[in-house]
Amino acid sequence: MSMSMYILSSGEISALVTELQASYDVYGPQVEPQTKQVFFDQLATPAALDLEAPIPSMPVKEILFPQMERILKYKYDAENQSVAMSKQYFERPKALFGLRPCDLSGILVLDRFFLGQEFVDDVYLTHRRQCLLISNTCLHPFPQCFCVCTHSGPDADEGFDLDLTKLQDGYLLRVGSEKGQAIADAHQWQVATPLHAKEFKAVVDRSIDLFPEMATDNKAWVAKVMNRITTGFVKQETWEYIGDQCFECGACSFVCPTCSCFNIEDTQTPCGECERLRMRDSCSFEGYARMAGDHNPRQPVEDRRNKRFFCKLSYPQSKKYLRPGCVGCGRCQWVCPGDIGLPNVVQYIRREITGGQN
Amino acid sequence: MNLVNYKPCVCNLCGTGCGQFLKTDGHKVYGVSPLIAHPVSKGKLCIRGWHSNELLSTNERITTPLIRENGELREASYDEAIALVAARMQGFDGAAGEIGVLASARSSNEDSFTLARLTRDVFKSTLRGIGAEAGHRKSMAALEHAFGYPGAHGSLTAIDHADYILVVGTDITRQNPVIGGNIHAAQRRGARVVTLSSSRTQIAKLSTKHFQEKPGTLGLLVNALGKALMAIRTVNHDRRANIDQLPGYADYAAALRSISSVALERASGIRYEEIEEEAHHLEQARSIVILFSSGISGLDRPTIDAITNLALLSDRMDHPHSAVIPVAGISNLQGSFDMGMSGELGNSVFKALATPDSRIRALFVIDHDDGIIRDKERIAALDFVVYACAYKSAFMELADVVFPLPAYNETDGTYTASDKRVQITHKNVDSRHHVLPGWSLFERIANTSGQHWGYHSATQVFKDIAAHTRGYGDLSHELLSKGFGQHWNPKGFAGCGRRKFNAINIEYWESPTTPEFPFALMIGKAQHYWHQNNLMRKTIVPRREYDQTLWLYPQGYIEISPDDATRLKVRDKWLVNVRSSIGTHMKIAVKISPDVQDGTAYIPYFIKNMISDFLLPYENAYAAGEESVIPIQIQE
Repeated sequence: MSMSMYILSSGEISALVTELQASYDVYGPQVEPQTKQVFFDQLATPAALDLEAPIPSMPVKEILFPQMERILKYKYDAENQSVAMSKQYFERPKALFGLRPCDLSGILVLDRFFLGQEFVDDVYLTHRRQCLLISNTCLHPFPQCFCVCTHSGPDADEGFDLDLTKLQDGYLLRVGSEKGQAIADAHQWQVATPLHAKEFKAVVDRSIDLFPEMATDNKAWVAKVMNRITTGFVKQETWEYIGDQCFECGACSFVCPTCSCFNIEDTQTPCGECERLRMRDSCSFEGYARMAGDHNPRQPVEDRRNKRFFCKLSYPQSKKYLRPGCVGCGRCQWVCPGDIGLPNVVQYIRREITGGQN
Repeated sequence: MNLVNYKPCVCNLCGTGCGQFLKTDGHKVYGVSPLIAHPVSKGKLCIRGWHSNELLSTNERITTPLIRENGELREASYDEAIALVAARMQGFDGAAGEIGVLASARSSNEDSFTLARLTRDVFKSTLRGIGAEAGHRKSMAALEHAFGYPGAHGSLTAIDHADYILVVGTDITRQNPVIGGNIHAAQRRGARVVTLSSSRTQIAKLSTKHFQEKPGTLGLLVNALGKALMAIRTVNHDRRANIDQLPGYADYAAALRSISSVALERASGIRYEEIEEEAHHLEQARSIVILFSSGISGLDRPTIDAITNLALLSDRMDHPHSAVIPVAGISNLQGSFDMGMSGELGNSVFKALATPDSRIRALFVIDHDDGIIRDKERIAALDFVVYACAYKSAFMELADVVFPLPAYNETDGTYTASDKRVQITHKNVDSRHHVLPGWSLFERIANTSGQHWGYHSATQVFKDIAAHTRGYGDLSHELLSKGFGQHWNPKGFAGCGRRKFNAINIEYWESPTTPEFPFALMIGKAQHYWHQNNLMRKTIVPRREYDQTLWLYPQGYIEISPDDATRLKVRDKWLVNVRSSIGTHMKIAVKISPDVQDGTAYIPYFIKNMISDFLLPYENAYAAGEESVIPIQIQE
């Protein structure tokens, strides 16, 4: 389909949020007042939405694949030898309003993992099914961003229903799906002109120019490092250097928009029922990799660490996701108590390739 | 419907005091996020912090008061349980030492302050204590002597700016990972990070320099560093005139001079030349941060004295980026000490429990999970035991009355981190079962006993804390709510600003190992294991991590070096017989680790029967903490 484009005023954006709230739970970026930290949470009012806020501190996957959720309750009736079960996850229409392109790419990766393979994950599907995805172009990079290296920003080019970009005249709204077009058709929004399209391109180019040299310079290196990691040519010493800096906290996996590992646990409630919990997990944990019979193929920390980078930066894995597993949000770099966020790992491997030069 | 949002608070799982968000709808906790603007944690959390939502939503909570009747605990109302406690406690003579009170180093300052008041005014007892207090009291005594007040000198944020960081002993990336991360970041920006540790810990690997000394010689090594620093100054005719005017300097200098480089090397395995080279770096640093672990597995007093002396001798302690910090493993160890819940020397409740003919008959316990195995029989034989805790624990089996407490995010409270930073956590979740906060419970017990304190909120309790606690005078809930806490003010102590050297003795520690018992066994730490794991056992992912260690080594393990393993002809996970010089023995699996020195062995102290059967007869193993050594033999 050809992409329709409109120009919306701030007032029309607010009106759209209000309107969507009638039929959706609307989530969007908002600034926590005391700490100024940004979260992509459900909006109490349209006024809470801050489309200019930096990328949210936690990835938007939190809404579709929460840190911990109850997915099932069951109770065994010993007398009748029967089990009563009820599922604990429910479908609600959600509008994710103002997704940064990295988080949108993250959702697309999770879709391919949870929905696009042999097994379809019903819990994820239920959260995802009635989602309206509205992305928001980054007019400039935020600290640690490097999406230009991973083909996931600063603008979105697939997967959205609607996409916003702030221009001089207001917000450029691009339609990316039939669902998005249906919303647009119900409004008398001003149709964008070719000049707006030109300005959009200029805004994106300017944003790319604003990326720090290290990020743009790394663009080719991410590809080269992918090659190295795929072919297994990274030296053991480099992995050990990285492993020595791993504090085994799991933070990188928890903030990664594409990490999809989870753990399942049944716990007993005081009233004799059982709850089945699903919680995020991390390949940095030793117990995560342990197999039956005490075998652990990835016991040393460096083996566990490099697993993560195989997952983010290797061809076989990327074939599954149809893109690199890393979306360049830089969050792993913020939260790592060591110094092994993904961009740094690229640097370390680069240093190995160049023999310490750069 | 309440929206699910992130609410800021302070992580309560160690003495670092990291900033944390809890994702909650006001009823349940669904997730965690780190707090980027926090000056110490700066957007980082460790495995514990990242999984506190699992702890905070566990079903293993105490939900109502319980009273033991015919040997079984039954549910009771607050009125009934409080009346029973007030009545029974009146039957004991607190002044004569019949009532002991054990506070928790995880309780808020408000809870500990009111508990101290209950102990003093209602129970009339001076017999009190905090779990893990013994080690911290040593740190406090050494620091108070040196700097004039019992608390850290300087701030944990000094790590981000200091030229030189000295880590003495502690396995800090395991015990306080976020502090370890900050040290690692400092090393990367060019600070010199030096670790003294008998095993090759992660922080040792990440340091600029690691001195791997023989066990038991940490203090000697710190003193040798002092000797070398003093020598440089003498040669350079350095101007630090005021240092040698400080009380205790002459004795300290004489002791340092007496250190023999030959004896040093024989005892510690470190050559004096290496120490001299290090002293040059120390001399050049403008700001110096020294960190050591404090608490149950902390250092012994002579080692802490050596540390505070070296700090004073460096003459850099007035620099805003210098610090000496006793790093606590438990969130409010410093605060509960400040609130007066630490037993006076020689009058601790632990000592009363350990002394067979002491007069103790009743015990009032909050949250206790340390050392429980040790005094279990004595506690079971007491006339009356009251226990209050948020979570179910083995201690309930010993109690006659049990009270529930709120979790740290279910009530307002302040917590004092290792560097004296007092921070507030506001209630962000309703207590599911209308559980009274600790201060309110203690007030109602006082009320029923005829005393009226008139507290209606934690804020009001804190006003009393500010009025009656040295250093806390400038603080209020209102002030603490504005930023990320504030350090209590040492100027509240008359001695603040003074500098005094601690008296030291130079001893060349002789290893107690013999040809028959050639291994120096130390009680080591393990990952995913903190404070007897009463709390982490209630999580899911950290518990799995701990369990998987047990899967690999079901009987526990003893860590030895690869060369020693070759000599003993054993392989990883093989069972060996370990016999100590006093005759205790056990069968345990071998874990081969390149991070351990030849001739040394480590056992993590988390296996119950390992503690009770093997280690417990070694009284001094507990007293000496991190530096205790037991001679053993290992046989295939």
